[in-house]
Amino acid sequence: MTYADEDWYPPSPPGWQQPGTAPQGHTSRHQPYGRDLWQEPYGYTSRHDAYGHTPRHDPYENYRNGADLAALRSAYRLLRRVSTLTALGSFVVYVVLSCATPDLMGSKIAGELSLGMVLGVLQLVVTFAAVFWYGRSAERSVDPLAQVVREQAGTNSGAAR
Amino acid sequence: MTDFNSGTQATVLILFTTLVTLTLLMCVMAGPERDDLANFYTGYLSLTPLKNGLAIAGDYISAATVLSTTGIVALAGYDGYVLAVSTALSLVLLMFLLAEPLRNAGSFTMGDVLARTMPGRAVRIAACVVTLAATLPFLVVQLSGAGSLLTFILDIPHGAGARTICITLVGSLMIVYAAIGGMRGTALIQMIKIVLLLGTSFVVAVLVLNRFDWSPGEVLRAAQQGSGAGPTFLQQGLQLGTSAGERLDFVGLQITVILGVACLPHITMRLYSARDVPAVRRSMSWAVSTVTTFCLLVIIMGTGAAALVGSQYITAADPQGRTSILMLSRVLGGDASSVGATVLYAAVAGVVFITLLSSVAGMTLAAASSLAHDLFAHAAQRGKAEPRTEMAVATWASVGVGTLAIVLATLAQNWNVGVLTTLAICIGASAVAPALTYSLFWRGFTRTGMLATLYGGAGSALILMVFSQAVSGTPAAVFPNADFDLFPMQSAGLVSIPFGYLAGWLGSRRDHRRRAAESRENLRLYEENEPRLLAAAE
Repeated sequence: MTYADEDWYPPSPPGWQQPGTAPQGHTSRHQPYGRDLWQEPYGYTSRHDAYGHTPRHDPYENYRNGADLAALRSAYRLLRRVSTLTALGSFVVYVVLSCATPDLMGSKIAGELSLGMVLGVLQLVVTFAAVFWYGRSAERSVDPLAQVVREQAGTNSGAAR
Repeated sequence: MTDFNSGTQATVLILFTTLVTLTLLMCVMAGPERDDLANFYTGYLSLTPLKNGLAIAGDYISAATVLSTTGIVALAGYDGYVLAVSTALSLVLLMFLLAEPLRNAGSFTMGDVLARTMPGRAVRIAACVVTLAATLPFLVVQLSGAGSLLTFILDIPHGAGARTICITLVGSLMIVYAAIGGMRGTALIQMIKIVLLLGTSFVVAVLVLNRFDWSPGEVLRAAQQGSGAGPTFLQQGLQLGTSAGERLDFVGLQITVILGVACLPHITMRLYSARDVPAVRRSMSWAVSTVTTFCLLVIIMGTGAAALVGSQYITAADPQGRTSILMLSRVLGGDASSVGATVLYAAVAGVVFITLLSSVAGMTLAAASSLAHDLFAHAAQRGKAEPRTEMAVATWASVGVGTLAIVLATLAQNWNVGVLTTLAICIGASAVAPALTYSLFWRGFTRTGMLATLYGGAGSALILMVFSQAVSGTPAAVFPNADFDLFPMQSAGLVSIPFGYLAGWLGSRRDHRRRAAESRENLRLYEENEPRLLAAAE
């Protein structure tokens, strides 16, 4: 068991200025103070156990991990909802239109090509672009956040060892 | 139509033998190392995204997709186009919604994903039951199709004996691939198959367009004539009908396909073998591109078959049109005795054969893995099984599953078993898809909810399909003379998918009230697992 007294501060209520003597071993690895550390609800002080032992790792880290995980979660959720609903929605609209208005979808727009056929083939062609777009958005919005969460999990399990 | 001389049959036979020998050899060489479980279940962890993507696409495009979808395009025109689009978009949906968290959550089978927040044997057993319920019908369809297809390709007189021999032959080969090759061997075969399949389909599609001077309008005009349906060929309704109920049925079928096909266990199993999240994303990009290209080619080939072969010849050979792609290649080859005709026909027949073999092998492997990993290692032995024993069980399980499938396919060879494809997809959409989405994205999901989703979704799909019009009451049904079609639709998805989701939600709500401690434990496990689920953080 590690007694991490020297790099642990008792949690302070929201709005307090952090002491300038931040623990050296941690600040280097994480974002500087001033991020929305205290936006999270206050409730992690119970990590003291009954014998007054300090917890195994820095409670500030839990705040950060929680915040980073929440950011990753909402980024993933946004990406997932937008992409899934677009793909599923466009297809459902297409099928319902095909069934509800066969005359409209069967109307010829160029030679023998009907509107329904063009829309169907168009969905397949747009798929390539959609997949490309998904990969690029995921790389931009999700991957950096996932990297942060992964690194923190690595340092946490390192501290626990 | 079968006016080929014995020279062509000999070429086809030689090609088949060569393909079987080569792939068997590769399977043996690529087989997994003994007592390395990860190696057996996931194959290569070092596979590049391109190769992994090709393997996923190979598993995804089964013989049913190649043969039936082409047939439906040829016979039903517009309805077939919609089916091709929904088939391609199903994999897109898998990529967008499930692929990345699935890769992070799972290790070998679907049971691993579902049991990660709810340890216990009941969930493992349910996962195994649903895996079997989804893969076995699909396996039986493809095997019994293999019987009639091989007798058609080799031009053996249609007798029960010849078909039984063909089914047994293909089934034994499939067992050998699955048992000896494992995921590694089947991955290799899937890659080869998809490259051959794409290449051959591309050539066929180019030949079709070339025949009509690269004018889509001409192809469509000829297809309308050849189908005998006229302008209705390009309107929705040829497949199931045009009344309001039949149109609703069509919408239900398409939604079932888009939700269900990609969730089938033999496809999700390939995702666990990706190295990391960017790798699974790139693999899926390749897989989606390949499948979409193929679906575009299917549209061209099916329309070409309607234009050049004609509906009456297609339905004369097979009422579901499953032989249309072979007949198209015969017509495109021109003079039956020319070298070009022989080569083209032999190539298409060979590709169809290897597609059949590889897709049944992949499904056998998925079922056997679930039996060995979920049922034997975790439910029976409580996770204490030796890796060597587990692998031996998996090998014998593939033999068992394969034998069962051969027996069932032989028994069902005279029925119209296409309904089993619908059943498998319905179970995928109403049991597997809700269980996976709830388990990955809803922290309040509990054990009762999980069991209700898995058993309720699969059970409702099964019961509704038995009493549907696809089984009895209509001329095209399995039992056209019987009359127990209480459910007036061809596919169960429109009812069973909402039922599967509702059952999971109600079951979880019940747990929240009655067994609060246990649902809090599920919640804690979910939150503990979340960094791993979202970021692959260990």
